[in-house]
Amino acid sequence: MTTHLGVMAVFAFFVSVVFATLMRDDPAEQFRFGARLFGGLVGGGVLAGWLLYPLPF
Amino acid sequence: MPATTVDHSRSSRYAYLICAAAWALPGAGHLWLGRRQKGLVFLVTLPLMFVFGLWLEGRLFPFELTQPLVALAAFADIGLGVPYFVAKAMGAGAGRVIAQTFEYGNAFLIVAGLLNMLVVLDAFDVAQGRK
Repeated sequence: MTTHLGVMAVFAFFVSVVFATLMRDDPAEQFRFGARLFGGLVGGGVLAGWLLYPLPF
Repeated sequence: MPATTVDHSRSSRYAYLICAAAWALPGAGHLWLGRRQKGLVFLVTLPLMFVFGLWLEGRLFPFELTQPLVALAAFADIGLGVPYFVAKAMGAGAGRVIAQTFEYGNAFLIVAGLLNMLVVLDAFDVAQGRK
């Protein structure tokens, strides 16, 4: 749970739930928006990690 | 005073009262306004995120105006309302700088407070009839 990826996923989950609930009214839309947001946050984090990987510092 | 002015000042006072409730207890504003589903989600999610931040050994920052970034973090932390004061009273949130998860914990605590500020603004909009 306290790995970098695990904590990032938990963080993305909380942020996605709150934003989806704030920005959509219908529960089905909230779920779809939240899932997309969660995927974007985690995927973006992993992508940014790989893009930064070759940097020497 | 004309009736519309009285109504307007009463509705403004009502909206600010809802904002105060929404700040003090995450989701309370939405619950008050009858948005039960949203209120319950905020009531569960935001304090849970805050507790997670404490568990990760994050710090509840003090208001130190000589250190602007610390003061800003404190302002964000306090955005969660009553859970912040309960945690402070219980002596939680001392933060352990050498813990591996210290910065993660800070991120959880700060973002939980900032998200609750957004929830307060949303409750204000709903109370004003904009949403």
